[in-house]
Amino acid sequence: MRIKKLFLVGLALQLSACASLGVQPWERDLLAKEEMSLSADAVDAGLDDHIYFSKEGTSGGRAFAGGGCGCN
Amino acid sequence: MQDLSSSLAWRGDHFCGRFRAMASPCELLIDCQDEILARRILDSAISETRRIEQKYSRYLPDNMMAQINNGQGQPVAIDDETYRLLQFANTCYELSDGLFDITSGVLRRAWKFDGSDRLSSAEKVQALLPLIGWHKVNLDEKTLSMPPGFELDFGGIGKEYAVDAVAKLAMQIAPKHSVLVNFGGDIQVTQPRAAQQPWQIGIEDPNRDDHALKLIQIRHGGLATSGDARRFLLKNGIRYGHILNPKTGYPIVGAPRSVTVAAEHCIQAGMLATLALLQGPDAKDFLEAQGVCYWICE
Amino acid sequence: MQLSRKKNIAGALAAATCSLLGQPAMAQEAQGSSETPWQFDTALLYYGETDRVTAVEGVVGVSKDFGDEHIFSGKLVLDGLTGASATGAVPQPYAQTFTRPSGNGEYQIGAGETPLDDTFRDTRVQINGQWTQPIWNDYRISTGGQLSKEYDYLSVSVNGSLARDFNQRNTTVSAGLSYAFDSIDPEGGRPVGFSSMPLRGNYASDDSFRQAFDATRQDGSDSKNTLDLMLGLTQVINRRTIMQFNYGLSLVDGYMTDPFKMLSVVDDGGITSDLLYEQRPDSRVKHNFYWQTKYAMDNGVADVSYRFSTDDWDIHSHTLDSKLRFDLSDNTYIQPHFRYYQQSAAEFYRPYLMQGDALPDFASADYRIGEMTAYTLGLKYGILLKEGRELAFRLEYYQQDPKNAGFEAPGVLQDLDLYPSVKAVIAQVSYRF
Repeated sequence: MRIKKLFLVGLALQLSACASLGVQPWERDLLAKEEMSLSADAVDAGLDDHIYFSKEGTSGGRAFAGGGCGCN
Repeated sequence: MQDLSSSLAWRGDHFCGRFRAMASPCELLIDCQDEILARRILDSAISETRRIEQKYSRYLPDNMMAQINNGQGQPVAIDDETYRLLQFANTCYELSDGLFDITSGVLRRAWKFDGSDRLSSAEKVQALLPLIGWHKVNLDEKTLSMPPGFELDFGGIGKEYAVDAVAKLAMQIAPKHSVLVNFGGDIQVTQPRAAQQPWQIGIEDPNRDDHALKLIQIRHGGLATSGDARRFLLKNGIRYGHILNPKTGYPIVGAPRSVTVAAEHCIQAGMLATLALLQGPDAKDFLEAQGVCYWICE
Repeated sequence: MQLSRKKNIAGALAAATCSLLGQPAMAQEAQGSSETPWQFDTALLYYGETDRVTAVEGVVGVSKDFGDEHIFSGKLVLDGLTGASATGAVPQPYAQTFTRPSGNGEYQIGAGETPLDDTFRDTRVQINGQWTQPIWNDYRISTGGQLSKEYDYLSVSVNGSLARDFNQRNTTVSAGLSYAFDSIDPEGGRPVGFSSMPLRGNYASDDSFRQAFDATRQDGSDSKNTLDLMLGLTQVINRRTIMQFNYGLSLVDGYMTDPFKMLSVVDDGGITSDLLYEQRPDSRVKHNFYWQTKYAMDNGVADVSYRFSTDDWDIHSHTLDSKLRFDLSDNTYIQPHFRYYQQSAAEFYRPYLMQGDALPDFASADYRIGEMTAYTLGLKYGILLKEGRELAFRLEYYQQDPKNAGFEAPGVLQDLDLYPSVKAVIAQVSYRF
């Protein structure tokens, strides 16, 4: 009987065999979820930005720091 | 003789169903705990596979394929499924500028890839070339007609199509369970598993002739391999793989021994792998340009 | 085969496969090309500091995909602010009297208490709109504007950006510009920098006080211009991970002094001898480096971001923000939030000025540009309703801890709290439909 050898082709190798970083269009099942969008919870982020903009010395980063209001 | 036996076994966290069809070991991994459901999926898969095999096998008399191939230049009535398969083959023919041609099966009469140095004679090949050429085939939604002596061969797409068809059926029967369909290394997963863990399967490594298994992980989508390291001719130090150029009738020289591609559907992966082999030494460049995940064995 | 044709093969095969297997095209593609109904995001937020400012803010956001990724989004924000705000003056072991910013009247601050101006009252309305659409194969443009108006403040801005997708939309590179014009016209006028605050008690009559007060005031409004440049890179790492890198350059030019802030001038004993209105530089160059990663877990999402910000006022800050969303069931989730912030003081920050020292070019005792750390702890609970509607509640605690940036307090100031913490509660209800 021949000995069957197992070769573990791990995830890392699968990735390295791909052309580059990223996923195929049909692998976007998780990324397509609304909560995975970088703009998810935009209203929360906008409110937070305004609070921290008016209470701290720096602003911006996620989006344009912009002008603002008289609160700072 | 056809092997009609099948088996269903519980393997820790899924059911594994097995049968033989299309000259390959066929395997279904079913991510559920319900044996009745698993049995239903397996039985449906077996009958669907046999249906496709019996409809399109070149070795059976009186099936769809026999009617087409014995048309003798007359129009042959085709059904919708056959029309869709032929349309797909037509697209592949166009995309490959004629390198993928389902009329090229007749070249089998001139070539035997048995590892020897017996190349075919030029006369033999020349005699067959007039029987090749998809562009000479007339196809519409209801009928197909091709010149006398022409033969169609679904060898390049039939098994992959069966894998996808079985996967689609499994999805209909069990829309909430992941099922992996594996026909001799051509694979389709219906959807990711419940706990998101990958399916692990051993596929025969086509690069080795000791039947070594390669363990691969797959979560979703399709996977297919083209090429067979054991089917070649060797003469004067040049290796002739079994992939034939339908335009010259000779093997494509300089192609990788095999190409494995991952894509959304098995048949898509299989065709990309086949088209890559048809590019000969440019197979890698071709796959790079397509931006797909692939594994090449030189 | 020509290379130009090779590119299309995978796509053409995908389409051919779909017609062969009788399956619809990819779900995402189908979504992308069809028009969607208007989506409304509404929220009501309460922000309350202990003994200081209270704000209530209402938001109505709308967005609509008109098909083929032609997306409009807009937002209307209304907020009201009341309460007391630190003036920058230091506490004293005795009660202090201050002139109101309008010059009309005075207020008293008790012994040992941090001077707060309790006349803070403002209403703000802000409206903005943004339009995004593809323009060429993999290119998208986005353009928008914003207007924010308060009683004494107006801000108008326009922005535009260009984004390009690469590598099957796994990589997106973007560049954007924004210009903002702000105009300020505070009640009672803007103070002359470093002018001394007149107190009614030091003048014989109302007229002579008014004359002295008016002398500390500049006429008319002043303005500032802000130009922002932002470069962004978004990269899908794998099926579960997406990353964003931004670099932002901000050039601000104009009036950045806070007309309501002042500095105490103290003697060697720490006793206040004078109160001067603050004066800040009229230009500022800021750099922002922002990194965000989102990771899809089996039953939730991890969202971590880090920001480093630095500017020529010498304010350098580090911000770490993390949100972990856990799906409790198919339609509920909780999301703990932790944010940590740390900044160094502006080089012209002074908690007070020393009597007898030469006046610096610029000085401000505003703790918000002094050294500080701050943290936020929060929890959000969301309920997903039918047809994409969502109801969510958020409760957070925010604490700022100003720090001594290396100033040795003289005399009585050693026994007083010059850097009091600010504690706030944030509560929010949001509803999407």
